[in-house]
Amino acid sequence: MSSGRATRSLFDWLDARYSISPLIQFVREKEVPLGEHSMAWYFLGGATLFFFTIQIVSGVLLLMYYQPGEATSYESIRYITTQVPFGWLVRSAHCWSAHLMIASLVVHMFSTMMLKAYRPPRELTWVTGFVLFSLALGFGFSGYLLPWNELAFFATAVGTDSVKSVPLLGNWLLQVLRGGPDVTINTLYRFFALHVCILPILTVGLISVHLIFIQRQGMAPPRGERKAPRGMKFFPSFVLRDALLWLVCVTALGALALLLPYGPGIPGVEWELGHKADPLAPAFPGIKPEWYFLWIYQLLKEFPPHLFGLEGPQLCLLLVTALMTAWALVPWLDRKARRDEPSPAFSDFGVAAIFFLVFLTLKAWDIGGGGGDAQGAQLPDPRAVAWTCAWILLPLAAAVTLLRVAVFRHRWFVFSAAALLHAVLHGFAGLSYLGAGAIAAVLAGLAIGVAVMRERRAAPTMGGGP
Amino acid sequence: MRRRTLLRTLLAALAGIGAAAPPEPAPQPFVPSAALREFLEARAPSGEPIIAADQLAYFEGLPAREKQRFDAAVGLELIGAPTQLQEILSLGLRAGPLDLLLHDNCLLCHTNPEEQDAETLFSIDPEARGSPSHLQLGEFVSDVHFRKGLSCAGCHGGSPDVEGMVDEIYERWPESPARHTDRTWIPAFCARCHANPLVMRRFNPGLPTDQYAKYRESRHGQRLLDHGDSKAAQCVSCHGVHGIRDAKSPRSKVHPRQVPGTCGACHADAAHMAGYRTRDGKPLPTNQLADYEQSVHGRALLERGDLGAPACNDCHGNHAALPPEIASIAEVCRTCHAANGELFDGSEHKRAFERNGWPECAQCHGNHAIAKTADSMLNEAENSLCYACHRQHAADNPRCIETARYFYDSITTLATETASFESEVHALAERGLDDEPLSIAVEELHETLQQSRSRIHAFNRSEFDAVADRGRAVVEKSRTLIANSDAEYRFRRNGLLIAIALTGLLALLLYAKIRQIESNEPPRS
Repeated sequence: MSSGRATRSLFDWLDARYSISPLIQFVREKEVPLGEHSMAWYFLGGATLFFFTIQIVSGVLLLMYYQPGEATSYESIRYITTQVPFGWLVRSAHCWSAHLMIASLVVHMFSTMMLKAYRPPRELTWVTGFVLFSLALGFGFSGYLLPWNELAFFATAVGTDSVKSVPLLGNWLLQVLRGGPDVTINTLYRFFALHVCILPILTVGLISVHLIFIQRQGMAPPRGERKAPRGMKFFPSFVLRDALLWLVCVTALGALALLLPYGPGIPGVEWELGHKADPLAPAFPGIKPEWYFLWIYQLLKEFPPHLFGLEGPQLCLLLVTALMTAWALVPWLDRKARRDEPSPAFSDFGVAAIFFLVFLTLKAWDIGGGGGDAQGAQLPDPRAVAWTCAWILLPLAAAVTLLRVAVFRHRWFVFSAAALLHAVLHGFAGLSYLGAGAIAAVLAGLAIGVAVMRERRAAPTMGGGP
Repeated sequence: MRRRTLLRTLLAALAGIGAAAPPEPAPQPFVPSAALREFLEARAPSGEPIIAADQLAYFEGLPAREKQRFDAAVGLELIGAPTQLQEILSLGLRAGPLDLLLHDNCLLCHTNPEEQDAETLFSIDPEARGSPSHLQLGEFVSDVHFRKGLSCAGCHGGSPDVEGMVDEIYERWPESPARHTDRTWIPAFCARCHANPLVMRRFNPGLPTDQYAKYRESRHGQRLLDHGDSKAAQCVSCHGVHGIRDAKSPRSKVHPRQVPGTCGACHADAAHMAGYRTRDGKPLPTNQLADYEQSVHGRALLERGDLGAPACNDCHGNHAALPPEIASIAEVCRTCHAANGELFDGSEHKRAFERNGWPECAQCHGNHAIAKTADSMLNEAENSLCYACHRQHAADNPRCIETARYFYDSITTLATETASFESEVHALAERGLDDEPLSIAVEELHETLQQSRSRIHAFNRSEFDAVADRGRAVVEKSRTLIANSDAEYRFRRNGLLIAIALTGLLALLLYAKIRQIESNEPPRS
């Protein structure tokens, strides 16, 4: 019997029992819509999924040797990286892949935002994606503590401390998160359970839902077309391209793991084991969280201890919650996109969000502040930091704006201009971060008000926009 | 009202506190007398309030009992001026010492500018009031005797409860100016308590009571008591007066970090030391403090704050201070550098030094200006320690220079290797390789290096090699560790290159497959 006939009969056997033919038919007919924009954005979800798969595989391998416990966590990680064959590769790949996963997830989310792929009927795909993003941050936060080293210990102490600011439930939440009033080995136990059990179950479940949504509805076609004018065969063209990207990713991951085994050495993107955590040792200065939390860390620093009768951190958390909620509800807030009309305001909102996050992250790195030695003897100068970061953001923003005007024909810049004005007022005019933000917000509000009035008076056409 | 009480009880019960606590009696509100209020609100001729806002806040925060004491002192005119009240409040004393101060009529009266002249007025700023510097009020209320309740009357006689001066004070205290020119009475005066175990037991049972006996045997004591030389140091010269702090206090004049300055106040003062001579008749030098400050001991103590480093008294003694004789210098050094001393005792140098009457350690390392030792002391430079001495005293013995050269070569090789391995540890860590074994080896090398340098004091190759050989073995082990790590890194790098080649090939095949599929597809509308 030839191998072709054997495969055929095996397929028939399975098909008779599990009705595989419709599935095969679905895959054969499935197409990826092609529009004016680059189709590169369609691969980011796949890349994120690939890195997540690497996380699962490398995580399971680490789990074979990792032993949570006061006397074993640090030691077992050290054992993995020094004694276990290829343990160094597994740990380094796990860490690199974690950061790359979040990076590709962020780009995927912003590309979805800019391409308005959240338009009906894909609102819930956006929401599930947003929840997956939150889960990924949870993975990062819980995994950070597991090596039980000095940096992780103090960063977790600082990170969990911010929950205290949640109104009414703050102290209770802190106790739940830490398993007591302080960060102890009990905190590690619950972070371990969260990292290797609870979060993976939730994430795998939600990824399945996210993928089912995408398969049921197909990938979002370009705006203005309910069905794309042309498409690419999902199988084999798109799948093979996906596989090609994954090959590149795995090679890059291997190279990074070997050449930069402890990360690129930037605060928030490093995982050198260093010294074992000592709860009795004094916290050393300059502790910073992972890069994707830096903006919240910096925003907390910008708030004074008390403002409007509330505690500064409380107000900051309220602001962050409001921004995150607005982000999650974008499919419903963007009413024009719901009508399949251009919604340049939301494109600009996405760009403004990028400016806002980049500026805060740069500030969190104390770029241009001088001083800030390892012992924290000399603190960076906050005015100089703000000045330098504004100077970095300015050309970046100019390039993005030029690109938007020239290539994408964008004509709506209120939010991005406000974000830029915020940075300029704070960095160059020396206003406080919140003061500058308030002025920029008021001006943006006025500009939007004027725009809405004009729009109501004139014909309801608004120039350009994706 | 009842509802509010009920609510309060309920809240306390919910909080889990206070329910069982007995109700505290409500404190009686303090109402200042008109005289005290007048002082508190008094203004200077410029219109500025005399009692500053922070001092008023301090007064308000005091317990009612202390406020009442202030009121009583103002009523008795012991506090006779707003400026006096201001000075007392500006001390910011806690309730305990403030209570002692307000109980002490001597002090209250002697801080009253209305009652005292500049010669007897205690003040926060004696310079401004023209008082002598020992009438510093801030220092006095920090005095260890004052804090233990032994105030003015403890030394001067009289009673702090009595409002006026009594004859006992004049009887006990020598007449001025005799007491300023003749200081011979001071040691015995302090010894009345400090040499009496029964008295000291009441205040500080742990404090020895043999200081006076030791002092009498010291060079200072001999000069003062036997020769009537009032320039010689006595208790007050070193411990101060009216501001004596516990010796453990960093501000005490006899705290280890203050001792060089305290001794130097006399011994570095050429005018004060003029006329004093050494045993061999030379003028007593006054450069000890300057030398000590530059020495390895001085830098450790004064710059790094290392209290393990010796101050003057650790070598010379304190109450029994005497210059160490040649025979005892080595013993003084051995109290800390015992191992080097033992090695030296078994060496050929011991006999040679004895023959020449040289003071063992000090002969090579000096005394007050002991410099940090360096390997270059062993090399063959013209002015190096070993070479210069041997050229002069043992020119006929070439073995000595050979041994010094051997020590020097061995130690510098070990030191160079250690430094290179240290940088290799960082290189391994950066490449993600296991740096712990090499790091341990480097620590071992540091230890061996230190021990080798110490073993030189035996001036014997076999003694030296017993340690140096261990170091040489660690160097070999470290080289093997580095070679193994390099091999491991090469393996990883080659593995990566092979992986990249394979994945690259696979990627090329995939790309070709995609092109092939798409070129075969019919054109789509």
